[in-house]
Amino acid sequence: MKIRTIIAAIFLALSVSSIANAQLQLNGAGATFPAVIYSKWFDEYKNMTGVQFNYQAIGSGGGIKQITEGTVDFGATDGPMNDKQLNEAKSKQKTDILHIPTVMGAVVVAYNVPGVSGLNLDGTTLADIFLGKILKWNDAAIKKLNPKLNLPNATIVVAHRSDGSGTSFIFTDYLSKVSKEWETKVGKGTSVNWPVGLGGKGNDGVAGLVKQTEGAIGYVELAYAVQNKIAYANMKNKAGKFVEATFESVSAAAEGAAKNMPADLRVSITDPDGKNSYPISGFTWLLIYQNMKDEAKARALVKFLKWAMGKGQSFATELYYAPLPKAVAKMCEKNIATITANGKKIK
Amino acid sequence: MNSKYFYYKRKLTSSIMMLLTFVAALAAIIPLVFIFYYTISKGVTYLNLDFFIAMPKPVGEPGGGMANAIVGTLILIGIGGAIGIPVGVMTGTYLSEFGNNKFVFLVRFLTDVLSGIPSIVVGVVAYTMVVLPMKHFSALAGGIALGILMIPTITRTTEEMIKLVPHSLREAGLALGIPKWKTTLAIILRTAWKGIATGVLLGLSRAAGETAPLLFTALGNRFWSTNIGQPIASLTVYIYDYAKSPFEDWNQQAWTAALVLILLISVLSLVFRIITRSKYKTN
Repeated sequence: MKIRTIIAAIFLALSVSSIANAQLQLNGAGATFPAVIYSKWFDEYKNMTGVQFNYQAIGSGGGIKQITEGTVDFGATDGPMNDKQLNEAKSKQKTDILHIPTVMGAVVVAYNVPGVSGLNLDGTTLADIFLGKILKWNDAAIKKLNPKLNLPNATIVVAHRSDGSGTSFIFTDYLSKVSKEWETKVGKGTSVNWPVGLGGKGNDGVAGLVKQTEGAIGYVELAYAVQNKIAYANMKNKAGKFVEATFESVSAAAEGAAKNMPADLRVSITDPDGKNSYPISGFTWLLIYQNMKDEAKARALVKFLKWAMGKGQSFATELYYAPLPKAVAKMCEKNIATITANGKKIK
Repeated sequence: MNSKYFYYKRKLTSSIMMLLTFVAALAAIIPLVFIFYYTISKGVTYLNLDFFIAMPKPVGEPGGGMANAIVGTLILIGIGGAIGIPVGVMTGTYLSEFGNNKFVFLVRFLTDVLSGIPSIVVGVVAYTMVVLPMKHFSALAGGIALGILMIPTITRTTEEMIKLVPHSLREAGLALGIPKWKTTLAIILRTAWKGIATGVLLGLSRAAGETAPLLFTALGNRFWSTNIGQPIASLTVYIYDYAKSPFEDWNQQAWTAALVLILLISVLSLVFRIITRSKYKTN
């Protein structure tokens, strides 16, 4: 009997505490790629202001779906919504959806060839490897890019993502830009029909495949390659220079793209201009309702976004993201200023 | 000579088969041993008081706990139980006590089908039925999904347990002029309740270990929340998130969360044992 009383008391206590728990909370869901910095931001922001932003990494596709259905206060994605998706969301939610870039990330080409480091690759060679046209590590095309390296006569094992992902989108977007054959045969998307290779689930899956398989080549987000201590290739950019993926080279890529950035900030920055630009990188976006119904939430969101564009950027590099270039952050602020609550401007 | 030959041949066959069944039994235990070995050896490093009373820290800062997830899991199985236990026990009672008709057959069949439905499908149903109309992820939606998952286990255990109650007890009750509903409630359910409690425990444990149906119902929460109208944290979703992150620190915490989940279920079953312990010694 006693135990039952205790259990009843616990439930009573919980229900009372839930009434007391009336803090402002905004819920969001979406891309896994920026989840780490978002969790850092939201923790910092809660300590500063007490407002809770609860973010759950369910994937870019999930983020777009939830913002379309109106089950979240904000969404997140690595690949921008297309016009059809935007129209559907608008007809369901009766408001436009804003894309606000938050940080940038690089996709690196990770490889595992014993005795080889400092590999150089260019777009067409990479596309040919992923098309299954280059099969050996000592192929003439790779040798030509790496005259100093002693490449073994080993088979290339291609590793790619088996699940839908923003990382695949950035990678295939790049390959489509640099290889006509890739564009017509495979195309770009969060999941495509890979001509060759083994599939791994998630960045960790691909990183694991590359790490464990001699002769493997795959693509992962920079953070995963660094954390798992996997070598990654220097990529030849549009200007003809081999560039390593670093925060500077990714920011340089964004600056190259910022000059002709569209007003809605939906843009691909793969294969950009600029001497020091790393060619396989992309933005990640928060998806925000242009007009929100809850004024308190709208105000909190606007305040947070302004903080994220400014001070929040300083957390990026330690977590392996590249901060936004100043010019892009400025454009974001302009778009943030258009957010309204029930049609009224937010001060 | 001939009979001796058959004797040894049979003896040999018997020994070989015995050995094979022993090996099979061993093979069945080995994964369990590995599970315990890995969760304990890898999870124990983070197991401290903080893990139970502190909140998760952002990535890069060592330490922190999962107080919100532990409470969240308890709330979720609490809601699930509040739905699943009454429905399950009453359905089980109905199936075994009231009626022997086509409807009973249909219910029994559908319960079996329900127990075979993958939990993620139940999650999708809860998403469509609760999350979309409410326009909100919530602990309530997660609890409903878990409640649905508990129903078949509890129903079938209740039914089987009630079937074990001797027929003479029913007849004795009826012979004393006790109405049927009272006999069922005061005699049959009372006699079978330990077995039913075991079924309830199985249902609750299964629910506590589910991840898939929570991903798009309860969603998850990095903060302290006990409001059932808001998204809520749970141990299983934390394990899923942390185990696949690139950060060593989070991978470690995922193991600890797994260990805590196992401990939680063990404590739950211990509590049930104590509650159902007989007041009178049987021998």
